[in-house]
Amino acid sequence: MDRELLKIERLSFNYPGASLPALSEISCAVRAGECICITGNSGCGKSTMLLAIMGLLRDGTLTGTMHFSQPPVSDRWSRAAGFVFQNAESQILCNTVAEEVAFGPENLCVPPDEIVRRVRGALRAVGLEGQEARNVERFSAGQKQRLTIASVLSMNPKLLILDEPTSQLDVQGKQELLAILADLKRQGYTLIMAEHDPRPFAPLIDRYLVLKRGRLVETARSLPNPGQYAPQGAKPESAAPDHGAPVIDVLGLGLIYPETGEVLKRVDLRVQRGERVHLFGSNGAGKSSLLRCLAGLERPGAGRVALAGLESPRPERLPGKVGVLFQNPARQLFAESVREEVAFTLERLGHPAGETGSIVAEALELCGIGHLAGRAPLTLSFGEQHRVALAAVLAPRPELLLLDEPFAGLDFPQRLALLDILAQMPVRYGTTVLIASHDELPDGRWADRSFLLKEGSLAEITH
Amino acid sequence: MLKSRTEPPLRKSLRSGDYGCQYVAHDSPVHRMGAAAKLVFGMVLTVLAAGVRTPPTLLALVLVTLGYYLAARLTLGDLWRDVRLFLFQAVLVIPLYCLVHGFAGGVWPGVRISAQIILFYLPGVVFLRTTRSVDAMRGLRRVIPYRLSFLVFVSIRFVPLFFRELEEIGAAQRLRGARLLPRQQLDPRNWRDLFHCLLLPLMVRALKTADEVSRSAEARAFGLFRERTFLDAAGRPAPEPGATAPQLPVPLDSVASGACCHKLDNNSKEI
Repeated sequence: MDRELLKIERLSFNYPGASLPALSEISCAVRAGECICITGNSGCGKSTMLLAIMGLLRDGTLTGTMHFSQPPVSDRWSRAAGFVFQNAESQILCNTVAEEVAFGPENLCVPPDEIVRRVRGALRAVGLEGQEARNVERFSAGQKQRLTIASVLSMNPKLLILDEPTSQLDVQGKQELLAILADLKRQGYTLIMAEHDPRPFAPLIDRYLVLKRGRLVETARSLPNPGQYAPQGAKPESAAPDHGAPVIDVLGLGLIYPETGEVLKRVDLRVQRGERVHLFGSNGAGKSSLLRCLAGLERPGAGRVALAGLESPRPERLPGKVGVLFQNPARQLFAESVREEVAFTLERLGHPAGETGSIVAEALELCGIGHLAGRAPLTLSFGEQHRVALAAVLAPRPELLLLDEPFAGLDFPQRLALLDILAQMPVRYGTTVLIASHDELPDGRWADRSFLLKEGSLAEITH
Repeated sequence: MLKSRTEPPLRKSLRSGDYGCQYVAHDSPVHRMGAAAKLVFGMVLTVLAAGVRTPPTLLALVLVTLGYYLAARLTLGDLWRDVRLFLFQAVLVIPLYCLVHGFAGGVWPGVRISAQIILFYLPGVVFLRTTRSVDAMRGLRRVIPYRLSFLVFVSIRFVPLFFRELEEIGAAQRLRGARLLPRQQLDPRNWRDLFHCLLLPLMVRALKTADEVSRSAEARAFGLFRERTFLDAAGRPAPEPGATAPQLPVPLDSVASGACCHKLDNNSKEI
């Protein structure tokens, strides 16, 4: 692990029109066989740095020197570096597993017989052998992530670059990925990954490069600033107990999908007004399906659902009473300003203009984005867009707030800030909040009650 | 010992995929047809769909197209998922024709136009559902350069993803109060919601996905050589090393190509 593989000197990058550089005077070196983690909060320049190494940045101004000491590849049927993107969905370009893994070698004009060998080898390396003919759409998030790694390994790279590889993965998916990467490292691969929460990979990582606003501020051998992952302050205040009619009243809920079988099995769930609930479950456990049943987007095969006093709710009856925030909420943004975006539901509910203005201002203040009121939502960062979408669903002060994987794409401080906002909803407005996620909550003390959804069955977790 | 022929198991479900236009990996006579043959046959059906004028010819074409669809071992459940968005246009088109030409004069042209739109589109759906990407690209590259065939292929490959996006964005917006239900869209005052709440976010999503897809392809050497090989191109000779030297510039500011050393500064290189 002594040979220097990559040396970067004074690397800087400016996006077009940006006042501050995305990367500023970064110098570092990576030795062969090393595992490097580039870490830092959202927007610090992690992904930009990886794209710069791969030469995938478009537009903008790139300065500095990169020296790759690997001798020029002996055959032209290999790539020196392979890149695994954050979003596996848009990285997968083909229909079947074999085609996807073969895509890179095909582009390198690898002979067909050799492609077959490489496809087998790459799938073996990620534990997907025997799945060549499968349709990739039927894969879980973890399997898709492993497939994207295989599709890069088939080009025989020596350097593997991974951008936020765990962002879509549940606990088991992270463990599987860790095992695969550990195995690749043992085989001599050099790994560079960008992660805002590198804790799952700590046993693997040799060095951490900490970025802050595009600058390399720290190089460490152990996890930098581990204290940031511990929740700060006192346990969030709970709303006064309510003994009225439950806000969520689900009895014997059953759901069957023709392709996958029974997704929800006689689920019973009762949640009172003002309670904070965490619904925990791995990918594919049925969390999203349960939320879709609650929101009236899916018609259950059995059982009854009552939400905020509405029996068998339909989506059109829920605005104002129930707010739902789906995964990747930024995609629901459309208005010309943040203020208009947040006011949308209120206007649809017929609130007077004066009242709407003050409610919107309060929602923006609660979400800490009052200063963005006049900005166009689509020009904001991911974290800011997330808050705008949240403000839009909580502005009508709903009786119930349902959130599906609300932490995806957020760094740890942003996750804590989100929990803080959600903790205020029951106290301020008596709102019941239900979070469904495949991760543990950033602050385990937040939830009044926790449930585990496993293979379609729901059980309350008692502490 | 005689080796028993393994028949594909009968599907119990009414649909084969999670959403419309999704490739279905099972065996059928249509799956076994070559991609080029499917393209030609599909184009013939499409041209006929544009040309039909009388009820008997329309009925005949519906039966042929439906037969082609079912021969691919696709189900009526699949058909519903594939065409339901087009039924939405039928709900708009037929009343509009009746409004303009009166019920007696407008109903047949309305039904014909609506059916023609679906028939025009259905052979493409069969192609998507029965053709692996590698076969599609091989079929297309016989008539157009492979880079262009990739572009065409990826455009249609992501159609199912956008159907799913459309559904998910629509669900989120309906829960915020947007009026997107078909019956709500009968009122032209609600068409604004269709554009602002559904189509605009979908376009933004499409642009972002296009960017990610092109980066993914670029990172895996797409376009580096003038030709490419294919996974199961049996009998197709592999290019001799050096015979097809890279025609496109290797990205000099990256390590991906194995470039040994490159200096980016000296008066700030613009990329």
